[in-house]
This record gives sequence, C-alpha cells and structure tokens, in this order.
Amino acid sequence: MPNIGVYVCHCGLNIAGTVDVERVVEYAKNLPDVIVAKHYKYICSEPGQRMIQEDIQAYGLERVVIAACSPRMHEETFRKTVAEAGLNPYLLEVVNLREHCSWAHSDQPEKATEKAKELVRMGVARARLLEPLEKRVISVEKKVLVVGGGIAGIEASLDLANAGFKVYLVEKAPSIGGRMAQLDKTFPTLDCSACILTPKMVDVAKHPNIKLLTNAEVTNVSGFVGNYEVTVLKKPRYVDEDKCVGCGLCTEVCPVEIPDKFNEGLSQTHAISIYSPHAVPKVAIINPEHCLRLKYGKEVCGKCLKTCEAKAINFEQQPENIQLKVGAIILAVGADVFDAAKIPELGYGRFKNVISNIQFERISDASGPTGGKILCPETGKPPRSIVFIQCVGSRDKRFHEYCCRVGCMISLKQAILAREKLGGDVEIYICYNDIRAFGKGYEEFYRRARDLNINFLAGIPSEIRSAPDGSLCVTVYEKVVNKLLEIHADLVVLSCGIVPGKDFNKISETFHVSRSSDGFLLEAHPKLRPLETSTAGIFLAGACQGPKDIPDSVAHASGAAAKVIELLSKGEFEIEPLKAIVNPDFCSGCGICESICPFDAIEMKAETVNGEKLVAEVIEVKCQGCGTCASACPTHAIKMQHYTNEQILAQVHAALIAKQEMVK
Amino acid sequence: MSLVDLMSMAKPNEELRKKILQKLHEELAYCFQCAKCTSGCTAFKLLELVPHEIMRLTKLGFIEELITSEIIWTCATCLKCVERCPQNVSPYHVIIALRNIAVKQEAKIPEAYLKAVSQILETGLAQTIEKVTTKKMESLDRQKLHLPEIKHPTETFRTTFLKILEGHEL
Repeated sequence: MPNIGVYVCHCGLNIAGTVDVERVVEYAKNLPDVIVAKHYKYICSEPGQRMIQEDIQAYGLERVVIAACSPRMHEETFRKTVAEAGLNPYLLEVVNLREHCSWAHSDQPEKATEKAKELVRMGVARARLLEPLEKRVISVEKKVLVVGGGIAGIEASLDLANAGFKVYLVEKAPSIGGRMAQLDKTFPTLDCSACILTPKMVDVAKHPNIKLLTNAEVTNVSGFVGNYEVTVLKKPRYVDEDKCVGCGLCTEVCPVEIPDKFNEGLSQTHAISIYSPHAVPKVAIINPEHCLRLKYGKEVCGKCLKTCEAKAINFEQQPENIQLKVGAIILAVGADVFDAAKIPELGYGRFKNVISNIQFERISDASGPTGGKILCPETGKPPRSIVFIQCVGSRDKRFHEYCCRVGCMISLKQAILAREKLGGDVEIYICYNDIRAFGKGYEEFYRRARDLNINFLAGIPSEIRSAPDGSLCVTVYEKVVNKLLEIHADLVVLSCGIVPGKDFNKISETFHVSRSSDGFLLEAHPKLRPLETSTAGIFLAGACQGPKDIPDSVAHASGAAAKVIELLSKGEFEIEPLKAIVNPDFCSGCGICESICPFDAIEMKAETVNGEKLVAEVIEVKCQGCGTCASACPTHAIKMQHYTNEQILAQVHAALIAKQEMVK
Repeated sequence: MSLVDLMSMAKPNEELRKKILQKLHEELAYCFQCAKCTSGCTAFKLLELVPHEIMRLTKLGFIEELITSEIIWTCATCLKCVERCPQNVSPYHVIIALRNIAVKQEAKIPEAYLKAVSQILETGLAQTIEKVTTKKMESLDRQKLHLPEIKHPTETFRTTFLKILEGHEL
C-alpha cells in the first residue's frame, strides 16, 4: 500500500482557532499507511510547500493529503507543489477543514475537532486509491466572438484585434456605441462622451481584424473552449450597408413618425432612420413594425425608395444566419437602466417633467432633441428649479438591493452641467441617501459640485405630486436639520440605477453562463476570477457582470481581452484529465448517459466488433467531468476519472465505519 | 427659493442667505455633514449646540430661526471644530456671522453679551476689575496691592470701538 503523508494547515486562526490541529495530526498518524503527519501555520506559504516537498523525498511519499481550505482555493497550488517534487499532481487529496468545518462550527470546537478527524480519515481513504493522470492538450481556434458593442465590447475588440486576433463583434442595435454614446459629458473630468467614444467606434469599423455585425444576435452556441461554433442571426436592415452613404434624405421623406429610442422617447424619428448622429456604421435602417410598405405590401408608400440616390434601399432583404468558429467568447452585453415607471409614487410617465437620468443626458447632449439646451419636456422652457432624487430602483429591496455605483456621480455631474448651462440663479437640489464618490477623482468632483451652490438634502422624497401652478411638488424630510421640506420644482430627475438586461435569461441559456442573485451574469470567482465565467472560454466584460462606470468597464474589458489572449496565444492548451471513460465491454447501449449529459459530451456510436451494438462514446474535450453519466450508468460501464466509484465508496466507508476500527 | 419648511411654514430668507454665502461660501459649500464638529462640540453636551445642523440650516437659508434662538450664543469659541474639520471649514465663523446678523437685526441677545459691551465701553476691559479676598477675609483692591491705577478709556477709543461694531457687516 502507498506511503501517505498528511498535512494539517492552521490557516492562521481560521482553522486552528476552532479545530485542535495537534489532535488531528496525532489521530492521522495512527491511520493505516500514513507514515508522516504534520501541522503548519500556513501550508500555502513557501516554507509550508517546501516542507511537503522535502517530505516527499525523505519519506518516499506516494500520496499527499492536505487538510486546509477549500480545494477551490488552493488545489491547483498544491498540485504544483507535489508535481515539483516528482509526484503526479493527481495523487493529491485536499480535505476542506475551513469552509466545511472550522468556519461552519466555530462555536463548537470540540465537535469540530472530531469532525476534522473524520474528514481527514475520509481523505486518507480516498487518497489511497488515487490514480496518476495526465493533462490533455487540445488545439484552439484563434478567433474571438465579442457580444455587445458598447464601450466594453469596443475596448475588448480593439485590444484583441491589435494583438493580432480575428474578432467578430456582434451588436443587436443598428449601431455600436451602447450606453456611452447616449451620454453628454462623463464624470469626473467632464470629457465630452462622443469626443472620446466616436474615434474608437470608427477604429472598430476600420480595423482589418474586426468583422462588425450590427443588427444581429447570437442564436446558438455549441462546442467547447477553444472550439466554439456560433450561429449569428443578422436581421435585415432593408438597406444595403455597402451602398448607403448615410445622407439621411430617406428619413426626411418618410411619413411615419415613431418615438426615437436613442433619444429615450424624447423626440420622434421615422420608420426609416439613422440610429444616432454618430452611428457606426452610418447606415439607415427600416423598422419593419412601422414601415408602411413592409406592413401593408409592395404598392404602398415607397417614398424613401424614390428619394435614395444611392439605390441602397432593398425591401427584399432576408434574415441571414452566419456560422462562426471561435476559440473564445467575450460577453459585453451591458445592462439596462431601471424603469422608474415601476415606482408609481414618483410619477414617472405620469408627469412629463419627471425624467430619468438617461433622459437628462439626451436633453443635455448637443446632438439631442433640444440641441443641448436644458429645457423641461412639458413646457419647453428652462427650469428654474431642479430636484435630483437618488437611489431610484437601487438600494431598494422591492427592486434591486445593490448600490448602482453610478447614480451619485451621474447626478453630481448633471447638477454641475445644469449649473453651468442654466446659470447661478437656478435652484438645484439633490435628495440623497449617502453620496458615494469612491473612484479616482470622484471625491474631488463631489467637492466641485458643492462649490457650485448645489443644495444637498439628506432624505429621499416619498412621492412627487403636481402643484396647482403646474410645478412639481416634492416633499422630503431632511434628516440633518430635522425638517419636513417642500420644494416646488420645474424638473425632477430620477437617478435610475443600472439593472440586468431584459434578455439576460436568453443570454444565460444561449451561452451556458449563470446569473448571480442580483440578476447579473456570474463571474467564476468574485475576487480572483472576475473576468471569467464558470464555462471555460467564455469571459465577461463591463456592466453585464455588475454595475460599472466607464473606467471600470474599460478596465474590465481590457482584462477580459488579456485573458482571451492568454488562453489562445499558444494555439493549444491543457485541460483537466477529469473526464468520463466508457468501458465498451460493459456498455449496454441504453443511451441514458447521452440523454442526461448537460454538456452534450456523449454520443452513441454503432460498433461492429462484437456484432452490431450501440456504444457510448465520450467527446473528450466537451466533457467537463461532472460525473452525472457515471452515476446514472446502470451497468457501471462509465468511470469518472479521479472520482471513481472505488474512491468515493472508500470515502463513504471511512465516514461510516466506527472510529476505532480504522486505527491500526 | 422654492423651498418651504412644512412644519413652521417658514421660507428661507434669500437676502440673508446670499449675504452670508457671499462672505462664507467656502465654509458652507464644502461641509459634507460628517457631524465631527458636533461630536466634539464643547457646548453640545451642556447646551445642545449642533454645529453641523447650523451649517445646513444656514446653507439652505433658514437663518431667521437661528438668529432669534439662543443656541448660536452658546458656542464657547473653543475652535475644536475648526481644527478638526475634514473639509477645512469653520462652523465657528458661521456662528459668529450669525451672531453679527442677530446684533444687526436687534434680535434677542443674551444679557451677558450686552453687559460685556458696556463694560468695554466703560473700562476698556472685557472683564470687570475684581477685588482680591485674602485668607483672612481681607478685601484688597488694586490700590492696596500697590498696582498702578487703570485709566478709563479715552473718547477716541469709545467712538472707534462703536464704529467697528457698527461697521462690522457679519
């Protein structure tokens, strides 16, 4: 039987504060095949690792059991440790004494110590039966799919394209640019948003390594890391992208008026239109739901067709399915703005002069519906008093518990813009809960806002009513001065938070990525793997992972791009040998495994060696090693490597057997 | 201002607000209501002076209720708030400005302060000249102690002093 070494980690006081590690070590020494057992303050430290490596040499250890934190934390670290000492890395067993024992039972040290002994006993039982395994190497496709053309998708695409990778950038809107394209100025520097974004949008369109697919959606993803097969549905624009020069004459003659989505419904556009003033590609698009000809047939209207000198309009265009092969996917699908109509007491939708913060951006933007003049939507006059209300839909258990991370800074910025554009006489109030100005230069920006005679009121109004004089009546209890204050405002701006996109359910299904409890897409680890999803080869960038401002989105996107480069640059990479193996002699060909595999990694193949029969075959690279098939196989024909029936049963036996019997 | 205090129906005094902001803009603008001044205020424990509240009331223009209350006169001018403010602002200066407005408007001023003024006008000193009582219960004045006599202030001093008092806007 193999020589086993057992190492119990104190993890500072995380484990040793509850579990009596010395007693656990004494117990482990008496377990069969254990020839050395030690405890150490931090096994993950350099001297801790060196201790194990020296013992492997000195005692000729053939299996190593480390009782420490969760294997999710340091299994990789310790595999490297034993491999450096010449032991196969899969001959290591990590016993979780922290998350599963000391943290869970910190109030019962005596029982925790007993449990720790039993967990170690189980670990030793499994370790005895571990088998050496080798990692597998697979080749990868050096192309990347980026989903979403906001600032995060743009940044990731440019980084990857500049590093020499072919990028497919898929955007569901008719133009890239995303939310940032709708903004007037950006905090905390008050850079004009268009000035810093538009050049990047143009770079994307011109880059030889980037293929831009707008008005398109990913409908299917199959395959696995390094070898994804993606179907993109490119919806018809009814305008030839190569012919259209973006002159906009067609929009002028179109008789159908519809609310302008880019201007957040504050102005009207037409059934044929160019998405935004800075659209990339600057190509018109026909809205099939509103175009008279597409709705009522060939002979109707057609004014745009007659006007277009470039002959770009094509009512015959059909949806197109595009097949792509990529090695990795970056999801940069962004997020939505909270819909304030969900809070009826705020009167959004009922009162025209109650607007959302994104609508304020459009009003303030020089290319917006008012040409950059801040005017009340209802009266068309400049407001004499403005009230900003913070935390709309955020920090509100009825809607979203989290802080939206941008609302405070957006309102500070908009208050500054209002002061600059409307002059010193306009009254500006910000009703806040806390002002959170946490980023680089943000606190200074907050001070700048305070300098501009903006009134901060600590308290959130309960409702907005209309006053007889046509103004909006806002009542707020100010908790610093302990007064119930009433403000008559011409304009109320709701600081709406960032919320998960409406299509996140579909995205989560299409790409096999999970969502966190707040509804955003879930990263593999909140601190150590914030750019990856739990599906290998699929990465996250920007606000789809959680609310982010522009600097954070850009940093996140560049990080995701770097992760993709790390993954794909070698052209091949190693994957874990934890996979299912079928013994064809035992396989009855029932196909249960094929039907339950969550990764489509099993196929039934006809085999003719011993007469015609179906045999399950595991597609190695797709197999994620979940073990579902092995536990479902009625003939035990499937073996899950590293988690074989024998190994797991040995652990179960060790858990159930009376304590004395195990001790030699 | 389109602001009203619904409990008292008081409106901010725009004129006073502008006046005080003109002089003390930085003090009032930068205060971010951490309440450190109140946490350390010498007068808070005994006399319930709440400097941070005074800062915001003044900023919003609810000045009349401050100048008619006795609370602004409880400041001991220890200047801890000034020393320790994380935003480098001075509640003390705001309180003094409010007192000056109160005087200007002939609002309710505690008698002790008025006495102090007449004392200065009369003697030139903020303190009255006290006698010393010895262990043997003997009362000694300056003359008995062989100290030089304190002269009464000149007429020039009085007019200058009054001029300063009147000329001081805030």
